[in-house]
Amino acid sequence: MNLVRSELLKIRTTSTWWIFGLITVPLWALTALINWLQTDALANNNFGDVPADQADQIQAAQSVDSLAANVYTNGQFFGLMIVMLLGIIVVTSEFFHQTVTTTFLTVPHRTAVMLAKLAAAAVLAVLFWLVTTGFNLIFGALVMSSVDLGSQLGSGAVWRATALNGLAYLLWSVLGVGIGVLIRSQIGATVTGILLYLGGAVGAAIAISILAARWGDWINDLQVLVPSLASSLMVSGTEIPGNPPRWAGAVVLIGYAVVAGAIGTLTMRRRDIS
Amino acid sequence: MSDGQWSPSTGQIVVSGLTKQYKNVRAVDNLSFTVESGRVTGFLGPNGAGKTTTLRMLLNLVTPSGGTATIGGQRYADLTDPLRHVGAVLEASSAHKGRTGINHLRVICAAAGLPKSRADEALALVGLTPAAKRKFKGYSLGMKQRLGIAAAMLGNPRVLILDEPANGLDPEGIRWMRGFLKGLAHEGRTVLVSSHLLSEMQLLADDVVIIAAGKLIRQGPVEQVLGSMAQGGRVRVRTPQAEELTVALREQSATVETDEHGVLLISGLEAPAIGRAALAAKVELHELTPERPDLERVFLELTAGKAGIR
Repeated sequence: MNLVRSELLKIRTTSTWWIFGLITVPLWALTALINWLQTDALANNNFGDVPADQADQIQAAQSVDSLAANVYTNGQFFGLMIVMLLGIIVVTSEFFHQTVTTTFLTVPHRTAVMLAKLAAAAVLAVLFWLVTTGFNLIFGALVMSSVDLGSQLGSGAVWRATALNGLAYLLWSVLGVGIGVLIRSQIGATVTGILLYLGGAVGAAIAISILAARWGDWINDLQVLVPSLASSLMVSGTEIPGNPPRWAGAVVLIGYAVVAGAIGTLTMRRRDIS
Repeated sequence: MSDGQWSPSTGQIVVSGLTKQYKNVRAVDNLSFTVESGRVTGFLGPNGAGKTTTLRMLLNLVTPSGGTATIGGQRYADLTDPLRHVGAVLEASSAHKGRTGINHLRVICAAAGLPKSRADEALALVGLTPAAKRKFKGYSLGMKQRLGIAAAMLGNPRVLILDEPANGLDPEGIRWMRGFLKGLAHEGRTVLVSSHLLSEMQLLADDVVIIAAGKLIRQGPVEQVLGSMAQGGRVRVRTPQAEELTVALREQSATVETDEHGVLLISGLEAPAIGRAALAAKVELHELTPERPDLERVFLELTAGKAGIR
């Protein structure tokens, strides 16, 4: 417990956390705007002609639960990236500022140090989720009311999506810590993390749709293996036809987090600090 | 302060057969030495001799390829509450640049389970209280060294290990450090200081451990290591009557040479005997100085051909 306290103190006594907090605000506002427009369009059916093979998916996305889940988890896309970067920095700043020597002198038990770092990153991620969700409850209620669907705050689907969103924040921070251990260079780890996140979302989606067109629809199910797609699948409010089930997204993401955390810890145990 | 299972022989450091093999180089090669408490031990060697690697193996930061290193009979990794037993100052720049000095110490206190008040006490101990709330990036090199020492003193340890602590210090800072470390040894603590500044070590250290190319060259009290290298002990003499004195001394079968400033360099006779001979010959003396072998010369002779890039 001392160790987690020390790790949280490390975060609190530098400016990283509030700088990232400040970056998060405009990104949240941007996605809020997009989600408002999208919800408005879906709720009012402003699509014109829809190809028959996509009608099912549109219809599912139009369901009230899905719309509500989407607005109440607003900000997730960039929020997850931010907590992943914070997880990376929790580890890499120790190498960047050479404080890792002091850290391991104070506590030679390196596994304990790594667990404390994972816990501290998770605490930070949950705080980001809590604040974001607070904003979302206000924003979401306004948007849902504006399209005459009511706030939907009584709906189980909304709260389930919100809770799963929290899980996603937590898991991405753990992934960040794992990346930070594997790539000690602060700039290298940050760039890799962002590429993995953004490139993973966009690039993999494109690649998979191309492959699916060539070899058949089953390849679409593989998108669940891409971390960022897995987490967006996990928090979608409803089952979308043609997509893998939501629990699969959760399983994949937990799997990545556990593997990253475990490899990170084992690597750190054996590494020479010089 | 709880001493745990600290053995009564206290802070003796024992390095035994310690070896570190990197891919292409054997940085430390079957190195053995001991460091006693109550004394300042200088750990000397040319750059790249393996000093830092040895200290890092002693502190469980680097895994040895072979051999053991213990402090008070235990490996560093096995110490409960290591900061209460051992304080270490490794590199001067080991704090987050955006964190204040006092917060740097508080982070360590939190992890080590030490009370927050120790951070203030340690900062006062090294005279850094006025800069407590300044960020680390605004510290001078000397202040960084002091902060490192403050961090090492948080747990009031019996054993202090410092890697090149005099690096970047101004003369005033070096003098302060010398007094501080001697004081700690005087209190019965073990102080192990690595350095390549030999003149400083001659003033500071009671014992020396000299290594080169990862191997032990010599270990022992400073006077003993110097004595083993003393070369008959020349005596410098300045006198306006050089010729008369030379004749008088040669009668006593001393060897007399003259340097370019006209100073006589005499070997084969001790200073008191030279003084007596001068008095008997009614020769006026302006200087009579036994030449002491200094650590630098001894060091260079001992490590000759073993230094440098490997």
